[in-house]
Amino acid sequence: MKGMTPLLALICVLAGLYAGVATAADSASTGQYLAIAGDCVACHTAPGGKPFAGGLPVPTPIGTIIATNITPSKTAGIGNYTEQQFSDALRRGIRADGARLYPAMPYTAYARLSDDDVHALYAWFMHDVSPVDTAPTPTRLPFPFNIRLSMAAWNLLFLDSKPFTPDPGKSADWNRGAYLVRGLAHCSTCHTPRNLLMAEQSSRELAGGDVGTWHAPNITSDANSGIGGWSESDLVAYMKLGHATGRAQAAGPMAEAVDNSLQHLTAADLQAIATYLKTVPAQHDPVDTRAVDSWGAASDELDSLRGVALPSDPNKMTGAQLYDGYCASCHQAQGQGSFDGGLPSLFHNTATGRTHTNNLVMVILDGIRWPADGSDVHMPGFAQTLTDQQVATLGSYLIKHYGNPAAAISVDQVKTLRAGGAPSHLVLLARLALVVVVLLLVAIIAMLMRRKRQKARRAGHD
Amino acid sequence: MSEQLSADIVVIGSGIVGSLAARRLALQGASVLILEAGPRLDRDRVVAAFRNSPIKGNWMAPYPPSPWAPHPIYVPKDNGYLKQAGPYPYPAEYIRAVGGTTWHWAAQAWRLVPNDVRIKSLYGVGVDWPLTYEELDPWYQEAEELIGVAGAPDTGSPRTQPFPMEPVAEPWSMRRFRERLAPTYAVVANTVARNSRSYGGRPACVGNNSCQPICPVNAQYTGETAIAAAEAAGARLIANAVVYRIEHDAKGRIAAVHYFDPDKGTHRVTGKTFILAANGIESPKLLLLSASDKYPNGLANSSDMVGRHLMDHPSTSLTFYADEELWLGRGPQSPSSINTLRDGAFRSQHAPYRLDFTNISQVLSVTQDLIKEGVYGAEFDKQLRWRAARQVNVKNVLEVLPDPDNRITLSSEKDAMGIPKPEAHYSIGDYTRRAADVSKADFARIAELMGGTGLRYSADGNFANNQHITGTMSMGNDPKSSVVDGFGRTHDHENLFICSTGVMPTAATMNSTLTGIALALRTAEHILPKPAGVHAAISNAEREASLS
Repeated sequence: MKGMTPLLALICVLAGLYAGVATAADSASTGQYLAIAGDCVACHTAPGGKPFAGGLPVPTPIGTIIATNITPSKTAGIGNYTEQQFSDALRRGIRADGARLYPAMPYTAYARLSDDDVHALYAWFMHDVSPVDTAPTPTRLPFPFNIRLSMAAWNLLFLDSKPFTPDPGKSADWNRGAYLVRGLAHCSTCHTPRNLLMAEQSSRELAGGDVGTWHAPNITSDANSGIGGWSESDLVAYMKLGHATGRAQAAGPMAEAVDNSLQHLTAADLQAIATYLKTVPAQHDPVDTRAVDSWGAASDELDSLRGVALPSDPNKMTGAQLYDGYCASCHQAQGQGSFDGGLPSLFHNTATGRTHTNNLVMVILDGIRWPADGSDVHMPGFAQTLTDQQVATLGSYLIKHYGNPAAAISVDQVKTLRAGGAPSHLVLLARLALVVVVLLLVAIIAMLMRRKRQKARRAGHD
Repeated sequence: MSEQLSADIVVIGSGIVGSLAARRLALQGASVLILEAGPRLDRDRVVAAFRNSPIKGNWMAPYPPSPWAPHPIYVPKDNGYLKQAGPYPYPAEYIRAVGGTTWHWAAQAWRLVPNDVRIKSLYGVGVDWPLTYEELDPWYQEAEELIGVAGAPDTGSPRTQPFPMEPVAEPWSMRRFRERLAPTYAVVANTVARNSRSYGGRPACVGNNSCQPICPVNAQYTGETAIAAAEAAGARLIANAVVYRIEHDAKGRIAAVHYFDPDKGTHRVTGKTFILAANGIESPKLLLLSASDKYPNGLANSSDMVGRHLMDHPSTSLTFYADEELWLGRGPQSPSSINTLRDGAFRSQHAPYRLDFTNISQVLSVTQDLIKEGVYGAEFDKQLRWRAARQVNVKNVLEVLPDPDNRITLSSEKDAMGIPKPEAHYSIGDYTRRAADVSKADFARIAELMGGTGLRYSADGNFANNQHITGTMSMGNDPKSSVVDGFGRTHDHENLFICSTGVMPTAATMNSTLTGIALALRTAEHILPKPAGVHAAISNAEREASLS
């Protein structure tokens, strides 16, 4: 610097500052995109609440987990997190105070994030998210899951903390897709079945899993059970628009995922996801003897309706009568939908073609609403107007005409789903397992003590 | 008497007007009990009934009357419920069921034009209202936000706040009318309570074109949604409760109402405040039925005005073939109209009117015509296609003036419950007939601009009824010439209010429902004012609640 005029020195310092600012800004806008791709908002924002302030109760088989405040608030959020602490929470499931997160936070997927992306996310959360100084109610799970350290053992068993490593034998497109699907977009969190301990079964990647009352279907490359028969442009359209005409439409949590996240991704990223999904090893369900989006044909039972009075007992209405009153105005008399597919056909539709019928029941009960606050009604729900028996009768009619005849819907199933799903026995199982372990320990200790005493007695005799 | 029933506020009638007043009062914390003569209906059973009915053109077909609460039916033949004393028929259609007549309306949710409330002062005809358009504006706005209204900005009805949503997409046929009639006539979107996007948890219109028998997807607001909102707000509903008498105490305050259940068991309901909201025919019927020694002419009737000044909007029309394919039937049934003739100096000479274009599918009426003409086979197919694509209709919606001789009285005939049936005395005055003559020139000009052929005017002196029952319990400042004051309170009974299109002193040129709702909300505010500043908070919270 010797010999430099003060003015030049000032310019250099300012330029340096400017460069620093520019980098931070770029990083932050990348961070925003990544946060959208990661769909952080889905869990960390309560309906009607401030963005990322947490508070959404997430029902899980081990109890309700309440999403935390991840705004940069220093009192209620993550404002005091260093980048390392942020990274540990994101990729290793460890909070700043060392406590373990529950895997409702998809850190097993985020573990694959690159250092650069974690850095960008950190920059955005710290600089561009508005801090909210209110903390949601803390999560209180039943014993034994309230002991967060138990998750350390779980992580030992199930957390693969290696970041994503590109496969040099595949295209850049494929690798980008794999990075998104297996990492940031955490598709497997819902679409991969879980084992008894709620860990994803890595051998059955994307073979289909359950999310509360909804089923996240098989999206492997299997031609019948999965998306093997879809073109890449079908997949891109589905992620962009929430439906692929003549195949499927997003409802429930998937409609949320499209609404919050997927529709905002770049065309290149959607294409990359499609490229990767088409290569995910096929997982075949033998019951799918045809592609799940190829069942059924246009048909009706109008002959059974005309001139016949509706029964006064709503539970005695036939499937054809229910279809005529509740469905046919939009989906048309023969289930064919509208000419442009705007109102979807019910045949050649995964909603009716899957033997896993929870989604069909759920869509009849809840309809399809975007965004998550329900303000945009794509299909009205009928939970208030149809009885369990009526939903079962109607669902069976839809399957018979437009779906896989091997599928079925029962009144009990409707009743259970309407009530929010089957209760989980995981807490009970865990407690039973603990009792067994404790009893075993007691037995072992007792045996050891007896031996010791016997030994001592023998020693005394000696 | 099987049970003792009581509430702060007792509402008679669960239609769109009564329900929205009830909802507002329930949100204010009042206990509200709604008595409805008819049964609960299930939308989808109505849809199924319509889809399976062989009489598609009769919009009352999916709503058969209940034996204990009959309503007028004319097809296939007159059920004789609404007696006609003449000289001109008044074949009103309405529905006695939970939710009322808007189960099957066209969702027309019009405001008045400002001069409508001053026609006596300005044009020397009719009467002035006891309030100004400016006083109504905020109540219109509240009503429009509740029921989700959209419309064109230039219909003659000024507003201080924007519509809560944008209009439903313009059907092709209406676009062609708009393009071809300009600049002679301005064809604009109707003001309607029909969703152009999701609103209030209900989906957007998808163009089933069956608005008036039933909207199958709930895209247009109806009394069904209104009563659900009232119940969600805490109001209690008793269906199948046929009120047959309103009881007063020695001071003339209302003490109770009495109703029959379908088995003719009797029940007495007490309350602090009573709202009569049973439409413009059943409400005056009930007031007349409740005559006592103290009130020998019926309740609220010291003026002898109850039931008088019966009005509607008579229409004449022109049907013709346009010179291009327009294919009516895509989109809502009544999407567009001409509104430039709703007001003007001519009102001292003849009635003002709107010119309204139907968008109802013509397939049914053309088919009936062809069969009548004896056309069969390939020629039938060809003709059906040609005519259904081109046949259009324009009608006027004419104002009638309040005439005390046009009235609802009690018939000597009784219904199945032993309650006297209503009887209509009606005629159409020269003021209205002159406007019908004037509008014929408009019809001719419109046909000319559309390259019209096969012009068929409705028969001279033949008017269609539009089911906008108004006037029978008119509001006014003078207790000698009106039934209720400007806030809907009956002049004769301090705790009896009327929420109904029947309180409108004049009919103007637009469908009466929105004005009925706005007046009812104003009445509800008068009964139980909202604390200052609560207005928006409640409606926002409610909006969220309606979404969940």
